[in-house]
Amino acid sequence: MSMLASFRTIGVLVRYWVKGRFTRATMMALLVGEAFSIVFILFAGGTYLSFTSRVGLGAGLSEVAWSVFLAFYLVGVIQSGFNGSGLAASGGDVDYVFTSPVPPRDVFAAKVLLNSLTTLLFTFPPIFALYLRFSVFYKTTWPMAALAGLVTLVFFLMGLVLSADITLSLGSEIGRRRKFWRNLFILLILGLSLLPIALLIPGAPAEIGDVTHVLPNGLAAMVSVGLVSGTSGTLVYSIDTVLLLAWLAGFALLGVRMSRGHFYELIEVRKPGREKQLEGRTEVSRLNPQGKSVWSVVRLKETILISRTRERRALFINAMFLSAFLIIYALSGSFQSSPTSFLFILFIIGSFGSGNATRWIEKERLWILKSSAVSLRRYVKEVYRARVVPLLLYLTPVTVAVGVPLILSQLGQGPSLLAVVLALPAALQVAAITMGGGMYFASRYGQSTADDILSSQTQELVDIKRFLYQTTLGLFLVSPLMLLVLASQQLAVSLGPGSTLVLGAGLLAGSLTYTLLILNILLNMAGDSVQKREDL
Amino acid sequence: MVEITIENLTKKYGDLTALDNVSLKISSSQVFGLLGPNGAGKSTLLKTLVGILKPTSGTVSVKGFDIVKDPEMAKKIIGYLPENPSLYTGLTTQEFLEFVGKIRGVKDDRLGREISEALKSFSLEEKRSSLVGSLSKGMKQKVAIIATSLHNPEVLVLDEPLTALDPKTRVSVKEWIASQTKKGVTTILSTHELDVAEDYADMIAIIDKGKIVAMGGIESLRKIANVETDARLEDVFLRLTAEVG
Repeated sequence: MSMLASFRTIGVLVRYWVKGRFTRATMMALLVGEAFSIVFILFAGGTYLSFTSRVGLGAGLSEVAWSVFLAFYLVGVIQSGFNGSGLAASGGDVDYVFTSPVPPRDVFAAKVLLNSLTTLLFTFPPIFALYLRFSVFYKTTWPMAALAGLVTLVFFLMGLVLSADITLSLGSEIGRRRKFWRNLFILLILGLSLLPIALLIPGAPAEIGDVTHVLPNGLAAMVSVGLVSGTSGTLVYSIDTVLLLAWLAGFALLGVRMSRGHFYELIEVRKPGREKQLEGRTEVSRLNPQGKSVWSVVRLKETILISRTRERRALFINAMFLSAFLIIYALSGSFQSSPTSFLFILFIIGSFGSGNATRWIEKERLWILKSSAVSLRRYVKEVYRARVVPLLLYLTPVTVAVGVPLILSQLGQGPSLLAVVLALPAALQVAAITMGGGMYFASRYGQSTADDILSSQTQELVDIKRFLYQTTLGLFLVSPLMLLVLASQQLAVSLGPGSTLVLGAGLLAGSLTYTLLILNILLNMAGDSVQKREDL
Repeated sequence: MVEITIENLTKKYGDLTALDNVSLKISSSQVFGLLGPNGAGKSTLLKTLVGILKPTSGTVSVKGFDIVKDPEMAKKIIGYLPENPSLYTGLTTQEFLEFVGKIRGVKDDRLGREISEALKSFSLEEKRSSLVGSLSKGMKQKVAIIATSLHNPEVLVLDEPLTALDPKTRVSVKEWIASQTKKGVTTILSTHELDVAEDYADMIAIIDKGKIVAMGGIESLRKIANVETDARLEDVFLRLTAEVG
């Protein structure tokens, strides 16, 4: 009877949360997001296949390499669990659900169920597309790809439950000794999961790869890779799948047991008006405006804000990931064989700028600016200057890291070397332009702090519109730079080797002039958009 | 002497008319109370007055400077405190005030002194190095008030400055309003606190559904509302807004 009542309660909670979550705008965002993620994952899948062949982990898809990829997901969920985000809660939950007499165990179950449903809905299409790409490579059938996708989903769901368990275990009730064992267990899982990275060291024993075989990521990798690559072993796969399900069931039972007590205080809910990361913090004032111009104070304020709110650190970490990805991509040899993939990589580096830019409006306080006599066009330009400097500082080493193998491969081939040499500053210019575009779209569509006109649903639609416009306009604006890189090779061939240097200098000057012109237009438009905004 | 002139001001959001042909004249050194129910158009009027919103039609001028045609000159003499002031939470109190002072044109030699004096008068000296995001609501409101008046504006536009404050902070804010009045600053005070309006305002306007329904001193408002000569402002307000509703 009590079990039945629990199921009913869980059903009610999930229905209530789903109703709030899947609005028309969310569904549109989901469709657009899914389409983009499928395109990206197909590209990444191709790179992965190329990479594994290149570094000798096996021809095509490798179980070990795949288990390492999945281990990175484990790192993420464990980290979010320790951050207290394993069980996400809204202000509405705190006010209405947590104060209700619903047993915490039921709330926990409903939360995990909802997260699982969302993951299923969001993650399955791109995963299926990925395995379909692999099955094309191996000439296996699509049902195998679907099965492999389902097995990977089980692994993802297990990760969500593990993350929720870790959040539950943050409470004081489990005691110091148990926390020690918990930490040891998690360290062991992480250490063993990531151990196969050591295979990249020349001469490392191949047996290292076997250690992941009993871990969830290893099991998921073995079954999914086996299915999609057409390796026979039905019985082994069934046993491995059962083992994977056992991990999931184990973590789920552990979670249900831990959630019998009161766990609400563990869940992070942002207090209105306060930022948790800033609570109780004091800092030495760094603005010191004495003798400085108003614009250098504006730039310094922006620099301080992006460093204090950890935005700069996030930028650095993202740049490191991007750098690792691009170096792998460069090593895989795809650049040399395909100019289109090279242009795509240019755009990826460049797109990095727009994500960075969109955050500025959230941190800006428009009422202060708009009730002041400052020129908003100039203000936006100064904010841009403050933000573009760290972006270029981080992207320059990335570009150099990508450029070195490229330049080395093109030495002695004048025209193609010119194209490569021009492409490297072009990548930074693409980043600068997309960041300018990002600032314009953020100033036009981004949500400001005290937005009292747009409802959240309207804002979601606006965000989708912004994303689509921004990507399209970004591509349009940077296309002359990409064309310039592509055309330089042909021009160098037709003009002859004697004029390569002059041609290069001319094209570089032209591209820089174009970039500055476009930036001026974009930032003026951004300033005008802020001027026209009335939602503050 | 007339400090602020609003003539035939209309502001529309799509089909919604937030302000409907509003005209006002506010004299120099006066405290002008603006009362009205929620959604009456008070905040829209104040935002239009300080140049955040653009009028659909009509004009607003502050000391002869048109807020649309000559916004820079007009904004230099206005200090604006919004209803829910959002601040740069990643800056320290000191940095925030220095930043606002700088963009509002306060000279370097005055800025440090003004900040120190203001922090002292609001008992915030200890919070000078605290990040604004770590302050309580009352403290943030005090910081916002300091930011509003750092450039010694001749006109103050205050949008419900006492909302949701604890009694101690309310007293500080009321004292600050009184001190500004003594200095001869023209103040426009939008509030739901009728006793505050009664105590501080020389002139009161009642706005409802985007229109000014009555304006004058408390005595003339009583006459307009046709209530007893000793009736409280609350009764006057209820009568006038009920008639329109």
